[in-house]
Amino acid sequence: MRPVAIIGTGQTNHARCRDDVSQPELVREAASRALDDAGLQPADVDAVILSNMELFEGRALPELWVGEGAFANGKPCMKIATGGTSGTSSCIAGFHQAASGLFDIVLVVGFEKHSEGHTQTGMALTDPFWDRAVASGALGNFALSISQYMAERGVSEEQAARVAVKSRRNAARNPHAHLSDANATIEDVLNSRLLAYPIHLMDMCPQSDGAAAIVVASGDKARKLSAKPAWVKAAATRHEQPYIGDIEQRLLTMRTLRDASRSAYATAGITEPLKQLDLAEIYEPVTYAELAWYEILGFCAEGEAGHLIEAGVTGIDGELPVNPSGGVLSANPVGATGVIRVAEAAAQILGRAGAHQIEGAKTALATGYGVYAWADAVILGSAV
Amino acid sequence: MIREEAIKIPFQYAAGTAGSEFLINLRDHRQLTGSRCSDCERTLAPARAYCPDCGREGLHSVNIGPGAELVSWTIVPDKGVFALVRPDGADTAMLHKLLGPIDDPQPGIRLQVVFREERSGHINDIEGFAIVQENGE
Amino acid sequence: MSERVSVPIEMVQSWRYSSGDSMERFSNGIRHKRIEAVKCGNCQRRYLPPRPVCGNCHLSLTEWVPVSDVGTLEAWTVVYLPFLDGRTGELRDGPYGMGLIRLDGSDTTLNHFLNQNDPAKLAVGMRMRIVWRDELHGAMDDILHFEEVS
Ligand SMILES: [Zn+2]
Ligand SMILES: [Zn+2]
Repeated sequence: MRPVAIIGTGQTNHARCRDDVSQPELVREAASRALDDAGLQPADVDAVILSNMELFEGRALPELWVGEGAFANGKPCMKIATGGTSGTSSCIAGFHQAASGLFDIVLVVGFEKHSEGHTQTGMALTDPFWDRAVASGALGNFALSISQYMAERGVSEEQAARVAVKSRRNAARNPHAHLSDANATIEDVLNSRLLAYPIHLMDMCPQSDGAAAIVVASGDKARKLSAKPAWVKAAATRHEQPYIGDIEQRLLTMRTLRDASRSAYATAGITEPLKQLDLAEIYEPVTYAELAWYEILGFCAEGEAGHLIEAGVTGIDGELPVNPSGGVLSANPVGATGVIRVAEAAAQILGRAGAHQIEGAKTALATGYGVYAWADAVILGSAV
Repeated sequence: MIREEAIKIPFQYAAGTAGSEFLINLRDHRQLTGSRCSDCERTLAPARAYCPDCGREGLHSVNIGPGAELVSWTIVPDKGVFALVRPDGADTAMLHKLLGPIDDPQPGIRLQVVFREERSGHINDIEGFAIVQENGE
Repeated sequence: MSERVSVPIEMVQSWRYSSGDSMERFSNGIRHKRIEAVKCGNCQRRYLPPRPVCGNCHLSLTEWVPVSDVGTLEAWTVVYLPFLDGRTGELRDGPYGMGLIRLDGSDTTLNHFLNQNDPAKLAVGMRMRIVWRDELHGAMDDILHFEEVS
């Protein structure tokens, strides 16, 4: 397989409701910005991969409606759907297409318009024989797992609230973020509405309208087109059994994310993630998950995540900034969310992350999370 | 064992920039709107924000119709006759209803758009396309 | 910004699902308050819901084992936000307790309602028992909820 790199990224301005544009226009906004960022024209794109959760907007064949917004007309185009990981899985598919020699330039675009459909319905349509009568969506799933994580690892509500504060403050530096607050406090989080114990409104990711895109190039093209490409060092994905009750301990062990990250670390030669990574853009659907991921991704020992956030280690000026963009807690157009993680990690390596740029970023981790059933890990670097 | 369920789901779709212009022109001006790509020299019906062929944005809006040409048609039992019609001035065809009486319509025959009296900015502000009678010419 | 148009559409979607053999046997069992899991002969994992294949070993599951109506609460929450019932589209009002319960005799956990919605009275490790509905019809809502074993 040949080396591949990301040479451009683009995002829409994510918001609760983008009814100023249609779905294809939203996709176009991100796709155009990514091509501009890469210095390419539509004709330069060899193939397109789209990412979206189709049940949410209730539209058959979403890739058909938005494809031409992503310059796909007359080109190879397909959609990938793996729940919340759809975006990272699509990026990984783009890496594979370029690495295999099949295409030189692949445009990956993820999008979601939660405002147009009914997200709760999409999430409630679980196994009709087993758990549809009780299913309470992503919120219920997370909340269930958190009680177990708190009991086992002693994480406090205040420590979780610190994750939300970090997210909202970082997002204040990111013009694309849906939610931001430079002055967010722990009290704001703890005083926000209780959705499902112990998750408060500010602990939980929002539902956003938005799209995000990356331009993937083969190594030869990347060298020609970019002074500082974001090289793909490793990419791994894992699938899991279907029912939440199948999965041993959920947040505590997260077999999918543990295995995907260990595999990616091994490929990229990372043995001490906290030291070797310059930043991470991780898929944290809820504050407590970010803490659990610190442990699963090897940023700290089991039971140490609460101390890590308290010590500011993962703050934007810390040893390993986690989600300098504000993360999923600040913008969550689900089909795009995984693409945003990869795009943000790439923008950091490209040196084009703006006010939330981590100086001299050379190695970055991006992860994806799709309920408990999927996890992806991508490592980008400044050298091949 | 079989399980049957039914669920009601609400959606709210944004027509976007060009889509809104098209629908508002139906509502306020009884006018069909297309988009012209000056690079491809093609006019697309209905209006859209960018050219599907060359990717160009910022297409300019042009009035199309009210006359149109029948491209193809089919009868859907209990629902009516559906047709692809190419409004005059456009290079692409739109899907809508063909209004009766219909007696073996042939591709290429002339049509005329028919608007409803009550309009709300919806594709159904167009009642359909009626066959233009030749008046014994 | 010039005027933008949005189009509301309400869709009624209907579905017709086949249970498959193993779920059919399970459903016929709970109509008589009998809970059975399938067991993998290789890894020994006992699965609820029953299914044709072990996801870990990729082997067919044919051995049935009895499962108790009593188990241990592995995880819990109280949901305050009204949540949509995926069977009907109607909102289910909060607050309601939910749990993941590992029934004695099963290695997977079952998610269901709890009769308790006070977080101060719920804890991981509690022993819980199924409360059955009066009228049983062979579906998961034959289980009304779980209550603490006193
Ligand atoms: Zn054109
Ligand atoms: Zn097995």
